[in-house]
Amino acid sequence: MRMFATIAKLLVKRVLTAIPILLVVSALLFCILRILPVDPAAMSLPPNATVQEIEAMRSEMGLDRPLYEQYGIWLNQLLHGNIGRSIHFRQDVTALIGNTLPATIELAVIAMMVATVFGIAGGLFLFYVRGTRMEAVMDFFSILLLSLPEFLWSLFLLLVFGVFFEVLPFTGRLSPGFERPVVTGFLLLDSLITGNISSLINALQHMILPCLALGIALSPSLMRVLRSSLLDAYQDDYIHQARLRGLSEKRILVRHGLKNAILPTLSLMGVQFGFLFGGTLLVEIIYSYPGMGNLMVDAIRNADLPIIQGAGLTYCIAVLVISIVVDSLYLILNPKLRVR
Amino acid sequence: MANPSPSGPILSAQNLCVESLGGKERFPVLTDLNFTLEPGKILGLVGESGAGKSMIGRTISQFLPHGFAVTKGTLKFDGEDLVGMGADRRRDLLGRDIAFIPQEPLSGLNPVLSVGQQMKEHLLRIGLQPGESWKLRALKEFEAVHLPHGAALLDKYPHQLSGGMCQRILIAMAFASRPRLLIADEPTTALDVTIQARIIKLIGEMQRRDGTAVIFITHDLRLASQISDEIMVLYAGRPAERGPAKQLFSDPAHPYTRCLQLANPNISGPRRGLFILPERMPGLRVLKELKGCRFASRCPNVMEACTQTEPPLADIGPNHIAACIRTEKTPDIVPPPLAPGREIASANIHFNGERLTKAYTTAWSPFASRSSFKAVNSVDFTLGEGEFVGIVGESGSGKSSLARLVVGLDTPTDGKITLAGRDVTANRNADKAFRRDYIQMVFQDPQSALNPRRRIGSIVTQANEATGLLNSHRERMVRAAELLKEIGLPPDAAMRFPSQLSGGQKQRVNIARALCTLPKILVADEIVSGLDVSVQAQLLDLLLKLRDEHGFSMLFISHDLSVVRYLCDRVMVMYRGEVVESGRTEAVFSKPQHDYTRSLLAAVPPDDVNSEWSPVLAEAGYQVE
Repeated sequence: MRMFATIAKLLVKRVLTAIPILLVVSALLFCILRILPVDPAAMSLPPNATVQEIEAMRSEMGLDRPLYEQYGIWLNQLLHGNIGRSIHFRQDVTALIGNTLPATIELAVIAMMVATVFGIAGGLFLFYVRGTRMEAVMDFFSILLLSLPEFLWSLFLLLVFGVFFEVLPFTGRLSPGFERPVVTGFLLLDSLITGNISSLINALQHMILPCLALGIALSPSLMRVLRSSLLDAYQDDYIHQARLRGLSEKRILVRHGLKNAILPTLSLMGVQFGFLFGGTLLVEIIYSYPGMGNLMVDAIRNADLPIIQGAGLTYCIAVLVISIVVDSLYLILNPKLRVR
Repeated sequence: MANPSPSGPILSAQNLCVESLGGKERFPVLTDLNFTLEPGKILGLVGESGAGKSMIGRTISQFLPHGFAVTKGTLKFDGEDLVGMGADRRRDLLGRDIAFIPQEPLSGLNPVLSVGQQMKEHLLRIGLQPGESWKLRALKEFEAVHLPHGAALLDKYPHQLSGGMCQRILIAMAFASRPRLLIADEPTTALDVTIQARIIKLIGEMQRRDGTAVIFITHDLRLASQISDEIMVLYAGRPAERGPAKQLFSDPAHPYTRCLQLANPNISGPRRGLFILPERMPGLRVLKELKGCRFASRCPNVMEACTQTEPPLADIGPNHIAACIRTEKTPDIVPPPLAPGREIASANIHFNGERLTKAYTTAWSPFASRSSFKAVNSVDFTLGEGEFVGIVGESGSGKSSLARLVVGLDTPTDGKITLAGRDVTANRNADKAFRRDYIQMVFQDPQSALNPRRRIGSIVTQANEATGLLNSHRERMVRAAELLKEIGLPPDAAMRFPSQLSGGQKQRVNIARALCTLPKILVADEIVSGLDVSVQAQLLDLLLKLRDEHGFSMLFISHDLSVVRYLCDRVMVMYRGEVVESGRTEAVFSKPQHDYTRSLLAAVPPDDVNSEWSPVLAEAGYQVE
């Protein structure tokens, strides 16, 4: 299959180009954080430590060596899967990220799914009412939605469904008293694998509000892009030709219009998904959700350099992976990009 | 599938009127349309753009633009009322009994679906025989339209195919259901001449196979007369003349038909002057207020009575009607005498290109070896003072690549360019500045070549902004006024934006911009294609007039051989990057030496409607699409 060959080529190419990108990002992260007026040696000792003790710690940690050597050591450790120990939590950074990353991925993926459903449904509806009076009304609402940020939605949904009606939980990932199965770290997946249905339902209930808040905030731009791409596609000759061949409007929309209009929408989704990794931060705080966002906030507050470095690298890798996935999807959906 | 009714026409229109009702004012779009189309016959619809040709197709499909509606008369398909019928019944007819072939084959197919997917969708829609596989049926239909390698074609996407192949696929789709009526709206306008000939022959072949009635919409009267049984000439939404194709072409009764015919340069016989239809067709909005004949404002035979009442469509012969009260005067319309031929004996060579070559190499990739392709291959040519040299050839023959080398948009990979004695091959910055003063380019599509946000006055004097010659805005506006006068636009056009001009006017502005700094050489890439014949004649005339005034020479690229024959002193025929034949235009066109030149010439529909049009359909040694 030519398509798979092309995708394989793309993967090889993208993985190869990802290496220098990661090197540059890691160097930047390392240098910037080392230049910060924070002394890791002093921080890892009790406040009453003497200058000699601090100096001893500095040489033990390698902080007295030149910067490039420090980077070399750090990079070497990194390649062996060791990002260092958190100064504040006194735990391996890999373990900390390993605990929080799945939570954030789950949140981001489900939020993106919500955004996709709302975005495509809303975009189709906006397109469907084109040229009618309803269009102006829908236009108003879509702009209103567009101007509401996700933390307002978070607070609004939390107050209405969590506090006022008390129908949904709004703190953490699981209510107290529920068993937390651990296989992969992905809570929903793990409860499903272990057959723990009550935990699964409880975890899903916890996901509803934060995912809705994020999804609703992301969907209006998707709606508007889809609508305008559909309007563009409907200017094209092949739509008119499909009508002249007697195809039904529904078929023309789904098979001819949407298939072309989905491409720009997909690019936007890729961008949004990348942002979502950093963008869950406020929502995680509001819902006390134990994800990367909360970890980052703690790390920054405590100037916990190893965590910041680890989280920064994780973010970089996530963005690279997402862009490779989106590009592969693009290849599948847009035959023009496939090399002959 | 087809069940030709033994009696009656397949399509008949009676007093059909289409009006625009939406918006503030109501105005007519089509008026008094009367025609009948018998099974198996071809009706040609001819006229300038805006005459309402395509509107007839849209009325048949009832996909009219927003606010347009049939307000009077009837339109019947095989006795069924097309206008009043329910949407479901009409949808049922479309694609099955009434098929369409579009103008732009490449955009007529969905870019993200493979040919097979689209063919399958259509075949399932029109219904297959019980037990018939769509794939076998698709291959059968491809075979009928002479598409080789049908099975491989199913996996291809439209962008991987040529325009001619896409058009064949669309024709295969259209004829798959053995339709009773086919509407072909300028099906060959976007294609090369040789491919045009093949596609036209193919439509004729398929139409004869199925006994399909065809409405053939075109702006080319010569082409219409070759393939139609009957022709209807439309002017501003109303038929001007209708009659048997050959008779109408050889003996036109309406002055408009005659003028259209004379506005198109001839391809054989002695060259003649072009009849320049002045101005343009009245807009549909002003028609409401217009008394008298619609054509009166441009008619050479106009008299007082013409402007009083609209002339009725009167019988002037068997099956021949025309809306003119002075049809007997029509043969008196003659083209102006040809401007005396220029003797290009001038030894003053402006431009000299030797062994010009432009090769493109594919980008380095670890997965494939690099390959090279020569868009222009060792082309020698000169351009003397005041000389117009035409380049003809099909798309992909390297015409535009050569033009880019001449202008300096690209640097040749091999060869030498001498401009007024100076070697500018390397195309360094100093060479470029020298070149810009010397050579200017007129681009093909005025729509995209003119910045929509700039006023005409500043567009035409754009070149002066960079040179610092005319520094002040006021000086430039004075120059703009001069230029606009030269190209025949009113002075107030300087303050307008491109969107406020017609297509022909925009192309004039495009020419004026190139002429601003009085270059010695113009390079014009297909500047009259896509324009109406009347506008084309105006522009060709303008170019000749401007040459007399300024004495520039021109490299004129065109796929239209008759235009090149009219305009150019010398011609070069390009095929796959090489010049296969060149010489004085008259000599090359009357005694072509190369097979390829012969096949190009044979592809042009002949001037004489009675001589047989025998294009070379699949020439040996030359790639068919």
